[in-house]
Parts: sequence; structure tokens; C-alpha cells
Amino acid sequence: MSLRSLSGRKEGEKVLLMGNEAIAWGAVEGGVAVAAGYPGTPSSEIIDSLAEVAGEHNIYVEWSTNEKVALEVALAASYCKLRSMTSMKHVGLNVAHDSFMTAAHIGARGGFVVVSCDDPGAWSSQNEQDNRYIAMQAYVPVFEPYTPDEAKKMMVYAFQYSEDYGQPVMLRSTTRVSHATSEVELGVVQKLERKPVWEKRPDLLVYDSAGARRNRVEMVKRFERIVREVDKVPFNKLMLVDGSKKGIVASGLAYGYVKEALNLLNLDDKVSLLKLGMTYPIPKGLIKNLLDSVEELLVVEELEPIAENLIKAYAADQGYKIRFHGKDLIPLIGELTTKPVVQALTKFLGVESPIDYDEVSRLSEAAARLPPTRPPVLCPGCPHRASYFSLKKVSTRVANNPKRFGLEQVFGESTSPIYPGDIGCYGLAYLPPFKAIDLAISMGGGLGFANGLAHIVKAPIVVSIGDSTFFHAGIPALINAVHHKARMVIVILDNDVTAMTGEQPTPGSAVNALGQPAPRVMLEDLARGCGVSYVQVVDPSDFKRSQEVLEEAMKVDGPAVVIFRRPCELVRTREQRRQGILPEPYMVNQAKCTKCMVCITSFGCPAIYKQGNLIQIDPTLCTGCGDCAQICPHDAFVQAKALVKTT
Amino acid sequence: MVSLWTPVERFDVVIAGVGGQGTILASRIIGRAAVIAGLKVRGSELLGMSQRGGAVYSHVRFGTKVEAPIIPEGAAHILLSFEPAEGLRYLHYLSKNSLILVNTKPIIPQTVSSGLSKYPELEHILQHYRSYATTITLDATALAIQAGNPIATNSAMIGAMVGSGRFPLPAEVMLQAIEESVRKSLFDVNKKAFYLGFEKAKQLLESESKEAVAV
Repeated sequence: MSLRSLSGRKEGEKVLLMGNEAIAWGAVEGGVAVAAGYPGTPSSEIIDSLAEVAGEHNIYVEWSTNEKVALEVALAASYCKLRSMTSMKHVGLNVAHDSFMTAAHIGARGGFVVVSCDDPGAWSSQNEQDNRYIAMQAYVPVFEPYTPDEAKKMMVYAFQYSEDYGQPVMLRSTTRVSHATSEVELGVVQKLERKPVWEKRPDLLVYDSAGARRNRVEMVKRFERIVREVDKVPFNKLMLVDGSKKGIVASGLAYGYVKEALNLLNLDDKVSLLKLGMTYPIPKGLIKNLLDSVEELLVVEELEPIAENLIKAYAADQGYKIRFHGKDLIPLIGELTTKPVVQALTKFLGVESPIDYDEVSRLSEAAARLPPTRPPVLCPGCPHRASYFSLKKVSTRVANNPKRFGLEQVFGESTSPIYPGDIGCYGLAYLPPFKAIDLAISMGGGLGFANGLAHIVKAPIVVSIGDSTFFHAGIPALINAVHHKARMVIVILDNDVTAMTGEQPTPGSAVNALGQPAPRVMLEDLARGCGVSYVQVVDPSDFKRSQEVLEEAMKVDGPAVVIFRRPCELVRTREQRRQGILPEPYMVNQAKCTKCMVCITSFGCPAIYKQGNLIQIDPTLCTGCGDCAQICPHDAFVQAKALVKTT
Repeated sequence: MVSLWTPVERFDVVIAGVGGQGTILASRIIGRAAVIAGLKVRGSELLGMSQRGGAVYSHVRFGTKVEAPIIPEGAAHILLSFEPAEGLRYLHYLSKNSLILVNTKPIIPQTVSSGLSKYPELEHILQHYRSYATTITLDATALAIQAGNPIATNSAMIGAMVGSGRFPLPAEVMLQAIEESVRKSLFDVNKKAFYLGFEKAKQLLESESKEAVAV
């Protein structure tokens, strides 16, 4: 649901929102004036949604070049006494970490909310990481919502809270909050209309060591006040049950699973339960009340045992003799669901499970093995497919016989190329048919890794990186490659958007987050400016030219940059449909097709399939890009209208 | 207006399909209908990388006792499989009392074309569903085309679910939610697809119960 449709709705009305939309709307209600972020699943829809209503609610919204810049944009606004926020996926906070730590020392003058969207289960991420640890390291309080509705309420509260205590706060969402839906009760939009106030305060903002020490003292003081008053936070709730000697603590989303599990076990309101909406610092008063009444305690939380360890430390400090359970019964790895919580509760409470999970597995497992594997694939017409087809072909040709290219001194007699890759849709090229991504570790990480490889291996190194990723974190590694003469071909896949997360604009796009015209930063200018001697821009659909350029690039002694420029096919076809232009699908001229299978085994467009003995094109999937017609050795692909004309 | 029905404590629907089939829209329609009915709603979707033609699922749940975004295993009421084989991945969410609705129009993935995996026989697939729980099969894609646009497949599936008589929210609430969720120009097609699905499921269940009586 577009947040635009919320204007004019009444307070108290309930609407269905996705978690990220709810977080964005909470910011609007909370009077946010500046919001910046970098796209990354599961966080992207927050800034997307805010951009939709930025004009209406007078909010400055931007997609920044990376998370560190985004956090700094928000920090500046908070310092100037405006309410501000930044949102990012969990690993994005690693990028912003440097400024995040110092921001916590400076404190918040306008309410400052850092939204971290963690990804338990690593559904769309390179790791599982619990950012509550990062918040703890920075003395930043953590709010953990369990539904979109609560996320919205927490956002409104968090801005005021951050301002009241002068400290940035974290709203820690997870995939199953950000991409969950729930009814959300609308509140009142605060119209703060503050004027930004710049105050010259080098004592606060310039880091000589005296300032750093002083700021740390102030930060710890602010946090001590937060700890003293933590029991005022309304999102923590203790439900004590008379005579219940076993208690449960559940943080964030885990509370939802615990409630469901208790319901399945017929134990609604029969066990003492503490819901934590703020995990750091822990609400000591409520915890004391709970510890006073139980003999055994189970702490349920996703990923790391953070609340568990904090409560254990508090209990030890206070001399409680309580038997603790947590990660001994609740999985440390992966996201929670109701099942592991039911299983933990049956052990903890000594009750029978109402569902025979072994039986469920026994009955369902055989069926689950039947469906064909269906990995995500590059879309029909995706320019990356053309890029990787050429990249694979040329790099293999050179590696197989370096002598033919006068490169035997460099690569020896015969070798295999190495393909450092990066984060984006093109990461799918690690799969067949290309297998042309050997690693994807972090934003820009492939290019950095290649800087290491270049000095120690004798193989062609072909790095691929997306346009958005290059802007985000590729440039320092490129400069490093130039300065140290690291031999590699760097292929920048420029499709004009951050495609995987929902086609957000990049600094190279002609528009900004709000769709307004924006100056384009050209990748070729950047590469040349960094000192790269060989820079070429080519349309990957021009296979002949693409392969010539790649071959030249392989001969360069040092870094060579090849920019494959062609818009994301999803964006292109959508724009065409808007103009009333429909795709003109290709089809197979069966008289010419030899069933050599190159189109399937080396190219792999999802619109092309084999039925019986014939190669066919699905006209509902084909976008009419025409790439197949170029890679087919037998000219068997033709546009349907052309085939009709000739026959 | 909303008609009365027995208050629902928990009602869980699993939706399975392939990225791009409209499973997310279907779950939003069900969720929106439950909000219209004044119920608590929880849902969960897979977004991001998995949308690129991969296997996708979403969960949508409503009722006074729903708290978590993911359906408890072994406890879902309905499985909507937008593609014949895809629903087989999620039978562990169901119980013997569940209802399964299967769209019989297959989408063959490329791994089959390139010989990396096999697409099972339709009859073989359906047997697995039938041995698990009550199963309704329909070509929802054909019904949507009959209604005027294959894009309305999700409305045909939702219509069939309501027509089964096993779904607690009434048709008029579902249609209101559809109206709020689809483009204005497409509402009539969706409404038509909804009723084609609705009638189809009703018919299938009636003929089945007659057979049962005859036996």
C-alpha cells in the first residue's frame, strides 16, 4: 500500500501495512524531517515509502551513496536539532560503523533513529548478524518491535525518547518484521516545522583527545539516566501468574512465537511472561519482579543470547539463585518459528506437544523432494546475461591459450580465470550456466579481494561489480589497484539502478529518490579520474564489440575497466508498457535450429525452453531483447513478425 | 456491509507459487479483507532475491489469537498452490484437516529444460496432495483467461477458496479487499475471475460429496 493513500485517513483507523511501510509511517507521525539510507533487503521499502510522501510532509529523503554517508546525513540533521533517521540492512551498519560509534558520543539533539534491519536466516544476505551487539558497543538503546503495528508505535516513541535522553536510538527490525504485514492503527502526524539550528561546537564535534574523553564521560552519563528510567518504556510488559515457578522472557518477534506456542499448548496466561520491546538496556525493575517470583527462567530470542546474558549478569549481581535456560533450548542459528519454541517449551515446562512434529516431517518430506529445483534466475532480457556470456567466453579463451594472445609471460601455458564478484542481481551468475562469480563477500569486497590475488596468482582475474555497488564501496579498491598496478579486468555492470532491492536510483541515475532530475555521476569519468588507463563503455547486447573490448582489456598490464551499460530490463519494459509499446517476442525458426543447446546450456534465458525435441520461446516471458539471435550459431531465433513475413 | 460470522481465533493460509505469479498480492488481499472485518492480521512475505523467478511463498493469518508472522507447522487451515508442484514444498504447515487448492497450470523452470531436474507428472503431484488432505484442483489460469486476463489468476484462486465454504470471511468482504488492491480498470475482470473460481470450487465439492453418498 502506498503511504500516499494514508493522507486524509482518521486517527484510530486501521490499515494493512508491511513492516517497512509501518516504520516509514511511524517516522512521518513522529515528525521526521530528514531520512537517508542505502537500499538493502530487508530494509529498502522504508526509504522507498518515505520518498512517496516526502513532498506532502516536507521531509528531505535521499538514497545516499552508502550507509556511512546516509548515517552522516542523518547525524547532521540531528545535530541541527531536526528529527532524523537512517535505515539500512544489518551489514550496512558495518559500513556506517565508524560514524555510528562517534555519533553515539556526540549524542542526539534532534531525535535520531537508526533503523537496522537484521536478517536471521540470511534470506538475502551474506551473513547472519545480530546488530544489538553493535548498539551495545555504542551505548545506543535498542527497540525491538514484534509486529508492524508495534514498529510504527515504536518509531513515534523513539524520536521523542532519543530527544529526551539526548542519545541516538536503534530500532532493530528483522526480515519477519520488515516484510511482515499486520493491521496498523494510524495516529496523528506531528507537524513540528522546526528550523535547523547550526551551532559552532568544536568541543563536541572535533576530535582532539580531550574532546573524545569528555564526550565519552557525557555519553556514559546519558546512558546511566536511560538505565535508571528504563522501566518507563511502555513496550516492555510483565504478565505475572500466581504460582508460576517457571517464567519466560521473550524479546522482539520471539514474543509472537512464544504467545503462539503457549496457545498451542493450551497454556494461555498460565505462565509468567515478560515481553521485551527494549532489549538494551534491560528493564531491571520488571526483571526483578519476575526473578522474585520464579525458580527457573527461559529467555527466548532470535540469534545471539543478548537479553539472556544481560539478565544472567543482573541475576548474579543481585544474588538470585535461578536456573537459566536460553540458547541451550532455543536455536542460535537461523530465524525462529513457532515449532522450535513449542519444542523448547515442552522441555522447559515438562508438557506434551500437541503436534507430532516427527510425524509431520515423515508425511511431508517425500512430497517436498518432488518439485523441480527453482533457483532465482536473471530475468528474461537481463543485460547481465549478455555481459556474462561475453565475459565467460573471452576470459576462458585467453586463459586456455595465453600464448595466442601474447600473454604466456603473464599467465603461463594454460590456466583458469578467477572471478571475484560482488553483491547484486548479477550474483546469480555464480550459478550455471555461467559460474562466473567465485566470491561475493561484502559490498566492494570482490574488488578488494582481487587486489590481493593480483600479486600472488598467475591467472586472469575478472572482477564484476554493479554500478550501485561500485559507487558504494568499489572506488577505494580501484584506486588501490591503480596505485599498486594490480592486473585485473574490472567489469562494471551499469544498469542505471540498484536493481535487486527494487530499482532504486544510483548516483549514476538521472533522477533521485523522489524521481526529480539529478546530475549523473559517470562511471567512466570516475575510473579515468582514479587513474585507470584503459576504460571502455559498451552495450553488452553488442556481443562482437563487447568481446573485442574484453580481449583488449585482458592485455592491459594493470587494472582495466569495462563498463557494460544497458538499463535493467524490468525498468525498460515497464517504461515501454507505460508508453503503450508491447514487447515483440522472438520465436524459433525450427528449420534452422540444430538443437545444439547453446541457448540453454551457455546462455540460459528463462524464456527459452526445450519441449520434447524442440527448442521453444515462451512469448509471455520473452521481452524481445534479441540477445538470443546474436548468440545462436545457426541464426535460428527471429522476431515473430519477421518469421511470419518470410514464410 | 460486513456480515456476521463466528468469531475466528486463528485462521492460517499458506500461499505457494513462483516469483511473479501474484502470490504477494493474494496474501495482501486476504489480509486487507481481515482488516475490513476488524480482525487482527499477521502475514509474512519473501521479497528480494527470491522474487527473480524462484520458488516463493507467503503466509497470511488472522483472528483474535494470531501473534506471529509465520504459521505454526502442522496447523494451517488452507494451502493455495498457484502452481501444481510448488505447494508440495509446504505440506509440513498442514494437518489432516486442512484444505488444499491447486492451480493445475504448471510453470516449467529452466532447470528442467537444461536437464538439471525433472518436472513430475501432474497426476503424481496431485496424489501427494490428496493423500495429505482434502484437495480441490482447478485451472485457475484458464478461469482468469476466461474472465478476460490471466493476471486475475489470484482472484480465481481466492474465489475458489471462498467457494469451498471452508474460509470464514464472506465473498463481499473479499471483493471489497480485491477492489482496494487492484487497478481500477482490472476490477471487473478480477471480480469475474473470483466468481468463476467460487462456482468451480462449489461445484467440485458438491459432485464429490454426491460421489461419497453414492459409495
